[in-house]
Amino acid sequence: MIKLTRIDDRLVHGQVAFTWAPALGIDCLLVANDKIAGDEFQKMALGLAKPAGTRLLIKSISDTILFLKDPRAETYKILILVNSVKDALLLSEGVAEITSINFGGLRTRPGAQSVSKAISLTPEDLEHIRVMQARGLELEVRQVPTDPKESIAQLC
Amino acid sequence: MLTAYILITLVAVLGHCEDFLGTTLIGRPLVLSPLVGLILGDLGQGIIIGATLELIFMGNIKVGAAIPPDVITGGVLGCAFALLSHKGAAIALTLAIPISILAEMLVSLLFISRATLGARFAAYAAAGDYRGISRLHILSGLLKPLLMGGITFLALLLGAGPLTAALHHLPPWISAGLQVAGNMLPALGFALLMNLMFRKHVAPYFFLGFILAAFMHLPVIAIGGIGVIIAVLVTNGAFSRAGASGTGADPDFDDDFPDTTVATPVAVSGGATDAASGAVSGVATGLISRGILRRIFFRSLTLEANFNFETWQNTGYAFALIPALKRLYPTKESMAQALKRHLQFFNTSPYGCTLIMGISTAMEEQYSKDPAFDPESISAVKAGLMGPLAGVFDSLFWGTLKVIAAGVGTSLALKGNLLGPILFLLIFNVPHLVLRYQLTFQGYRTGARILQKLAGNQVMDKLTLGASILGLMVVGAMPATLMSIRIPIDIGPSGSALSLQSILDQVIPSIVPLGLTFGVYYLVKRNVKTTYLLVGLMALGFVGSMIHLFA
Repeated sequence: MIKLTRIDDRLVHGQVAFTWAPALGIDCLLVANDKIAGDEFQKMALGLAKPAGTRLLIKSISDTILFLKDPRAETYKILILVNSVKDALLLSEGVAEITSINFGGLRTRPGAQSVSKAISLTPEDLEHIRVMQARGLELEVRQVPTDPKESIAQLC
Repeated sequence: MLTAYILITLVAVLGHCEDFLGTTLIGRPLVLSPLVGLILGDLGQGIIIGATLELIFMGNIKVGAAIPPDVITGGVLGCAFALLSHKGAAIALTLAIPISILAEMLVSLLFISRATLGARFAAYAAAGDYRGISRLHILSGLLKPLLMGGITFLALLLGAGPLTAALHHLPPWISAGLQVAGNMLPALGFALLMNLMFRKHVAPYFFLGFILAAFMHLPVIAIGGIGVIIAVLVTNGAFSRAGASGTGADPDFDDDFPDTTVATPVAVSGGATDAASGAVSGVATGLISRGILRRIFFRSLTLEANFNFETWQNTGYAFALIPALKRLYPTKESMAQALKRHLQFFNTSPYGCTLIMGISTAMEEQYSKDPAFDPESISAVKAGLMGPLAGVFDSLFWGTLKVIAAGVGTSLALKGNLLGPILFLLIFNVPHLVLRYQLTFQGYRTGARILQKLAGNQVMDKLTLGASILGLMVVGAMPATLMSIRIPIDIGPSGSALSLQSILDQVIPSIVPLGLTFGVYYLVKRNVKTTYLLVGLMALGFVGSMIHLFA
């Protein structure tokens, strides 16, 4: 069962390990990223940050979609982490179960405009957001679970 | 009085200098309130107020960008106003809470406005002007102590007179109510800690800690000691039996969907990996002396001096690496490139930052010798490590060590013992500074190899499990040792009345604080806002005191 799909360019870190994972009772962190899925060093680094008693899976976007479609994925309480709006869009197109996307952290990049403390968006990001909005997905901004949900539409 | 105000202002300035001084917890109320007490001639009361404030604010830690109430300004002013009007901890915290919430807004504004300095830093970097970067980093770091110091001084100057006059006429029933309300509040601190640490698989250790404290009256230090022993026994046992079975994995599922648990660090691929192993195998000798690494360690203590909401700790990172960059890049152009590289977004736990800095230094050295080395990989390794290592070091230091330090420190300080604040600082900072110093050298010498070793043989799993067992035992002891709430109700005819509290004490001592803590924890889990819980608890205590339900 997918408990949360989160965009966070730092992927697994303190906020995820200490606030989201316990708050949602997560037992499986699923990092969906094509580049990292092929990079042993990055996988090793992410493995260090895994909270005790939680499984960490690191898969490419296409493998993630296959994995989530498997009925056995139902037995896990999954937190999906992606590091870009584009990957979130790709996942949401492939997996019908994803109805809500959490915007956790997107740092400033060239061409990006800051819309909240932790979120900056490029014109392409905005394009992807519009597509997801049109498909009726809930797009909410929260760094930690105790933050009030803010709709991304109100911010940009 | 003016001298006292100035001295108290300096205490607040010192507290806000924490960002310069290695995030060493010197800004905590447990440390600053005794100093305020000393200035105002009542050290003992200062220590007790510090402990009381610490209990309430202890769950309010900083995770990522979530900025907690400014407990430095709030704590110093609350303590000062209470002592000036000869009142106790209840008044101190009643004042400290709103002040710290107001002050937090100012601090947030500062963190936002600091981002505008980004362009200046970039201009210095483009010119290879490392001195300019150092200067601006320190200047910007001074902004927070100066700004908040100024506000502290103004508040003392304008507020002390009217406030003490008003507090002087405070009716006793209000004082009594606030006292009980204040005694309720630690439940919120404990609940917030539990929210970080309480997991099903380690839950029994919470209750073990509680039983040791409530029934056997063991001091927190003893419970910490028992916790260490149990953590060692359990982690050795759990992992020696059968590798991965601890996580309840489904092997069939793994076969179909190959898990990526890191088993073979041999299969090296991808840009960052090549670079990192390059840094590992590289003959990292000659150019970077021990002295330079030592300077990097000392400079790393200012990592958060220019913390801002756009690029976070980036200038602290560049500032720390400057001694190495100066040695490696004699030309202005190469220096400019390197500075630019290290002014990119950076955010990690200050307690483990030197490990990444050491690795960066080794990679920079590699690059300075071998122009074919891809400098992009330096940034890639940094970016790849900062998140995961933040998770590791924050959990060890915030999640475990600070909890133990605060548990031991407050339990002593509540009795007015000066050892409380001293042990608090030592328990946290001796391991912190030793590790932080060593990691600079480890990172430089062994680079990513140390991480591969950690990832390979479940060291991290052991460490996080052990740390959560130990931390949770100490948290479990807290409601029993650090919270005093009683129910002063008598049952039966007035002649032979039985006190309800004494009956409770015979069955489960400290059941009231434990129940309150779990009640608040439940609400925290349901995402009730901390501010509401705070006000709610105070109201419950206040009204409870008025109708003689609680005392």
